[in-house]
Order: sequence, then structure tokens, then C-alpha cells
Amino acid sequence: MPPRRRTLINIIAGTWAVLAAAGDIALNSLPLPPGSATDIAGSETQVIRILAMMAWPIFVAVVAGLVFTLYVDRVAPDAREFDAQTLRGNSRVQTMWIAGSTTIVLGVAIFGTITLANDTTVPTVAQAVPNTPLEVQVIAQQWYFTYRYPSFGGFESAHLVIPSDREIEFHVTSLDVTHSFWFFAAGVKADAVPEHDNSVDMQPLKTGTYRIECSELCGIWHGSMSDDNAQIVSAGDFNTWAQQQQQLDAPIMKFLPPYSHTYVPAPGAYGS
Amino acid sequence: MRLRVAFLGLALIIVGAGIALFVTLYLIKTPPAVTAATTNNSVEGLPVVNVTLTTVGAAGTGPHPNWVAYLNDNGDPSTYIHAPANSVIHMTINQQDSASGLRNEYFGLVRGTVDNSMKVNGKTMQAIDPTTAAHTFTIPDLGVSVPLLGVTSDQQGNPPQNVVEFDFKVPGPGLYRWQCFVPCGAGTLYGNGGPMQTLGYMAGELVVS
Repeated sequence: MPPRRRTLINIIAGTWAVLAAAGDIALNSLPLPPGSATDIAGSETQVIRILAMMAWPIFVAVVAGLVFTLYVDRVAPDAREFDAQTLRGNSRVQTMWIAGSTTIVLGVAIFGTITLANDTTVPTVAQAVPNTPLEVQVIAQQWYFTYRYPSFGGFESAHLVIPSDREIEFHVTSLDVTHSFWFFAAGVKADAVPEHDNSVDMQPLKTGTYRIECSELCGIWHGSMSDDNAQIVSAGDFNTWAQQQQQLDAPIMKFLPPYSHTYVPAPGAYGS
Repeated sequence: MRLRVAFLGLALIIVGAGIALFVTLYLIKTPPAVTAATTNNSVEGLPVVNVTLTTVGAAGTGPHPNWVAYLNDNGDPSTYIHAPANSVIHMTINQQDSASGLRNEYFGLVRGTVDNSMKVNGKTMQAIDPTTAAHTFTIPDLGVSVPLLGVTSDQQGNPPQNVVEFDFKVPGPGLYRWQCFVPCGAGTLYGNGGPMQTLGYMAGELVVS
């Protein structure tokens, strides 16, 4: 290899190393979505971070290779004919290419499998307190989410409020068309399908006020089917809120149907 | 040949102008609005404004005379309400439609109004039997939801109606969508099509300025 070409390769390789390291350091410290409000969100954020850190050096290498090729193998304006070298039968390059690709693909597959396996285990956070899951039902209808709390007499609320010290067991269903319950900060997205119960567990970790929205096109007001006041609160605040909500709901409680994972509204309620 | 080209050009200009006129008229067309009427009353220091609407089983006018609708004082389908910021709206709804029932019984509860109650024909109520609801007046972003009691077949009056009154606070300037949560769009998918998805009938906007 000519010395000039070797120097150029070294410069590009050095630039790649610096950019790759700087990018990965930045990715490691950036507050990536969805955050860490729940165990699921934290897990998703970690997966995104790791994949991004794996992808960034590859991206930089591709760009560096492109720049190298454009610069070294460019054709002079007065060149009579194209005479670029043909790469053929280079077992070293072929071996590196196959080994690299295989390592990356298998690594991502193993990482994904381990992550999925860990996500199906019971959360290990806050094990010091009795962590009986709190069941919360998400009821979707055009165009509103409401929430039922079966362990508190089955009262219903127009806003989601959950405690930070208990595992939450969402049961998502719909009364009309298919919706999707998207609690972005919690890393939860679950389809709300009529006459189906879709459940998902999560462990809240951070108190705060969050946004919930429908992520399935469900009609003209789909874009307005959201709530910016979903709350993760302390256990004490949750109990206070639940008691207040029970009082507010008292006039309607006798009319609410018995708690069920799915509901089939009476034919008369279909407007036809 | 020149005459043919000129004729073709003139035709294109006429067609283009027609399309432009159609688009312009469509864009500048505004549906009839209901403007809150000021009063000398106040609730908790906030000025009270009056809004009156009527709900009927068939609009009887407009492009969809057979659709259920909220009507303004002129009897036109209208769900655009203009109100001043930081006020209390005293809403009066002359409910003249029969009950078809709520899909989610929770909307039988009165919430978000002053005292979380309403008056139906002068009687204070906090909830109704969800099967007796004809419509609801619900503003999700303000947490306001009021079920409207349906008229019964033996109810007196001409026309028979339930007068529903309630007060709710209006915050700062903004646009708040509201809708009915009784699936009353008869003959449509799940009862939520037609008037339920059409501004001016069972879905509307509260414009606060």
C-alpha cells in the first residue's frame, strides 16, 4: 500500500475513533425517551441507549468509508477511462465482513432475547413493601379514556391516578372501536379492543404528571383523545384521592355495571 | 387555430376561477355560533354569562334535517359557543329528545359543574339513570360532563322537554372541544358516526377569548 494511502486510512480511522467515542459518550449521558418514570420505561430507554451506542460507530464508519472512497477513488476530470480497482477474492475482507455482520446480528438477537425475558419477570423494585398489584381498568370509547379501580369498590375516574409504591396491572378494553392506550412516559402502549381484555404490568418509579393519548386512529376526534393530567403520586396522596373520588362517584355507583374485564353494551346503546 | 387556442384559454380561466371561488367560499364559510349573553350576576367573583341550547331528535333544517342536533336560539344546528375567559357559563339546555342510553354508564354522573350538580326542571340532581340519558354535554379538557335526561312518551308540554341548567367555570383563552357521549348517531357504526362526528350537531367547540 502506498504510504500516502496508508496515511489517509490512518487519518480516517483516527477520525472515526474520535467521533465514535464522542458520540457514544454523548449517547450515554443524553436523557433519551421515554425516561425512567416506570420500570418498563427505564428498560426501554436502556435498550434504545444500547442500540444507539452500537449503531453510532457503524454509522460513522459507513460515512467515513464513503468519504474515503469518494476522495481516493474519484475520477479526474481529464481521465480517459474509468480504471478503479476491482476487489475480488480478498478472503481477509470477506472474513472480516461476515464475522462482523454475524457478531452484530447475533449480539442484537441475544441482547433482545435477554431483555424480553427480563421484562416478563416480576419487577424487583420496591420489594420491601407488600407489592400486590393494583388493578386499574382502562376503558376506551370515542373519544375519551376512563379508568376503573376494582379494589376500591369499582369507582370510575376521568383521569388516571396511580400510586408510586405498587405494581400496576392495567386491563385495557374498549366500548366501541379499537383504540390504543399510550402512556408514553410509562413505556406502556396497549391496544384497546372491544370485548377483549389486554393486560400489562408496570412498576411506577417517579411521581409526576404525565400525558396519555390514543395511538390508534379512531375517528374524527382521535387527535383530541388525550389527557395531560395522568398522575403518579405517593401512596398517601393516592389514598386521599381515591377517597375523594369515591365520594364524588357515590351518586353514580349504583348505576355502574359490575366490574368486568370486558363490557358488552346493550344493543340499545348502539344508537341503531 | 388562434380562435381555438383563445377559446381553450378562456375556458381554462373560467374553470380555474370557478375552482378558486369554490375553495375560497368553503374556507371562509363559518357555521352559526352561539355567543354567551352577559349578565349582572357573579359566582365566586366570576361574571356569569348565559348560553341556551336545544337538543332535538331531528334538526329539521340544514343539510342533515334527520340528524340529532344541538340547536341555537334561531333553531339552526350549532355547537360553536363563544364565551369570555375567566367567567362562569350558566348553561340552559332545553332537552327535547328521547332517551337512547349511555354506552359508558359513568357519564350519567354530573361532574365539573359548580357543586357537581345540575337542575332538571328545577330539581337538583347529581346523576341520572344512564338508560334514561338522551345526550350529554361533555367538555373533556375542562372535566365537565352533564347527562341530559330524555323525555318520556307520556311527558306533557309542547314540545315536551326537560330543562337542564348548570353552571361551569371557564378558564383562560383557548379552544375546548365538546361532544355528546350517548351514541345517538342512529344507523351509523356503533352509533358514533354522522352527527356524532360532525361539528354543529353532536360535537362542537367552546371558543374562549
